[in-house]
Amino acid sequence: MNMFRRGHLVIPFLIFLLVIPATALCAGKGKIKHLTSITKNSETGRLSLLSGLFFDESRNRLYVTDTTNKRILAFDVDFKFVSEFNAGGALGAPTSLARSSKGRLFVAEPAKGKVLFIDIKQKSVRPINFSAVPKANAVYPGNMAVDSADNLYIVDKANQRVLIFDADMRFNRQILVKDGNGLIDVKVGPNGNIYTLDTIDGAIRVFDRRGNLLKRFGKKGKDKGEFNFPVSLAVHPNRMVYVVDQHNHKVLAFNKKGEFVLDFSQLGWREGRLHYPSYIYINKAGKIFVVDRGNSRVSIFE
Amino acid sequence: MVMVRKKICWAFFIFFCAFICSMPAADRSYAQSTQINLKKCLKCHPALGKEIASKDAHAPFKNLQCSSCHNPHASNHKHLVKEQIGKLCTSCHKGKKEKIGKKYSHPPFEEGACLKCHKAHSSKNRKLLVAKSGELCFNCHARKEILSKKHKHDPAKKGKCLTCHGPHTADHEPMLKKSLKQACVSCHSITSNKAKKSHSYYPVQDTKCTSCHNPHASNHGGLIRERSHKPFARKKCTQCHNSAQSKNPLAVKGKGVSVCTACHPSVSEDFRKVNAHVGRGVFCTNCHSPHTSDELHMKKAKETKVCTGCHQDTKGRLRDSKNKHKHPSVMEGKCSDCHRPHGSNFRLFYGADEIATCTGCHKRHASFTHPVGKGAIDPRSKGEITCITCHNLMGSRHDFSLRFNRKKQLCIQCHKGY
Repeated sequence: MNMFRRGHLVIPFLIFLLVIPATALCAGKGKIKHLTSITKNSETGRLSLLSGLFFDESRNRLYVTDTTNKRILAFDVDFKFVSEFNAGGALGAPTSLARSSKGRLFVAEPAKGKVLFIDIKQKSVRPINFSAVPKANAVYPGNMAVDSADNLYIVDKANQRVLIFDADMRFNRQILVKDGNGLIDVKVGPNGNIYTLDTIDGAIRVFDRRGNLLKRFGKKGKDKGEFNFPVSLAVHPNRMVYVVDQHNHKVLAFNKKGEFVLDFSQLGWREGRLHYPSYIYINKAGKIFVVDRGNSRVSIFE
Repeated sequence: MVMVRKKICWAFFIFFCAFICSMPAADRSYAQSTQINLKKCLKCHPALGKEIASKDAHAPFKNLQCSSCHNPHASNHKHLVKEQIGKLCTSCHKGKKEKIGKKYSHPPFEEGACLKCHKAHSSKNRKLLVAKSGELCFNCHARKEILSKKHKHDPAKKGKCLTCHGPHTADHEPMLKKSLKQACVSCHSITSNKAKKSHSYYPVQDTKCTSCHNPHASNHGGLIRERSHKPFARKKCTQCHNSAQSKNPLAVKGKGVSVCTACHPSVSEDFRKVNAHVGRGVFCTNCHSPHTSDELHMKKAKETKVCTGCHQDTKGRLRDSKNKHKHPSVMEGKCSDCHRPHGSNFRLFYGADEIATCTGCHKRHASFTHPVGKGAIDPRSKGEITCITCHNLMGSRHDFSLRFNRKKQLCIQCHKGY
């Protein structure tokens, strides 16, 4: 009887011992760690207004646009500076950038209303031809993305639409984000779906390849999981969606159903913290790159 | 045995009657005791005695129930009230509580600052208002704007603000009881021949009346706002719109923003920047009124209102009473003193780099200040120190809009050794 009574206490204690570490492990799974930061050094010189970022999977190279310094910086897989590039002086104020699997580099120059197409092998720099794009306001190119078939997606901020060009740089189609307000970013998910983000209405929209709206989630507000001023989004290989909230100095993550899962970082200057972050990119290995514009650095999380 | 039972029943009956009769007496004595309490209160607060005689005194006050709002011994709130004022009021005035579900709230109501408009004990005015209803509104709103103008809207002239506005909550902006259109057409016909003629026969019935008319007062007839776009003033509607007889008379000519840039070509340059406030369609009208305006540069409303229309989070920061220390331009609602509204090559739409933006006005700081700019490195971020490294100009709890307390906390962010 005594044994039974003792067992009565021991069993819950054992369950407690087993459950607590398991819960801790699960919680740890969702935790995002700061890995390192790319800051100015003697090789890069002074970093100015950092804008776009792209990780080239085939070459394991990270490219970052240093807008006011009119250059693109390249870093290796260990985030060590490799080189800088200004396309023979052709870059004016480069913002967003993307790279196709064939090594073509696309650089947005919103101040000129152009997207430059740089063929490094042929050493040529040409603007993408917008003449076939349906007429509206002059194109104001924002952020860009490239899918697995080398189609290029360009946010046209002046017309609340995404312009899609095929691998041969021919205009293919457009996706109008009709009921949105303040279209700012586009990314392509692992399954080919197109994700857009609107700053003013704080909405993430998911479109299929044909441009049919599949889902809309996210909203502005003060509660947990709501946005203040979302400016960029990225899709993780596991289809989680990460959104940079510039005025909250945070990154928020949503699962594929659009439910809020977690957020990380906060206002600050020390490593791992953010000060008016402006862009986010996630590579295939799941590394999260955040352009921390206010701190003039790139913060890398995992 | 039966007799004993009867006696017990009679005794119980008499006891019950005596108990019932004693209840009012007990109640009376409670009331008397409260009066005694009030007398105690009046000993130290004699002015309240006169107020009790007031016809419209607050019911609990009139009924000598001081303790329904106050705790006579101790409280965490001013004037020994039991709760925060907003909560205290809505604990009885539940009707007001229900109004919380509406879309828009009058800020004092939202903040529970009922005493901004109402008195707690008595008032010469209805509903315990601190002043007559029109006067009361003018204490905070538009007194100069309304009273100094030549032509006044009749309800505004008579101070009957509540003809159109709700005092606590409303379903329509700005605190309107009805939709903007309904608020106007319930008194003014827009289908009469006179109205049609004055609108050059354009179908304006679905447009926003206040985009051209000031609902309170104006120096121009018809309460047309103070500044008019030249084509509007000259009644040359077809310069921008199709003719009134066309299929789609209100549509604008040309594609998107070209209807504006055709006459204002230099403005296009402002938008050819790294950051630009561009948008769909005729995006100029997001901020500017194409017909009339009371503001400089034909802005749709006061600058802060235009900006915070989209930048809602900034609106929250500006209203946050904890952030007492703000840059004067922020206090005056002059966002464009530091930010460029059309476009900028600098972050956060500054007119120049952060240091130049500040030293443009704060000239002394250009030469004499904590080191900033090239060579001054923030050890936390490894980036350059600028003015906004230490100052948060949009609002801070600390002197000079500093991010941290300057007595210690601010400096030791970087100077660890101290």
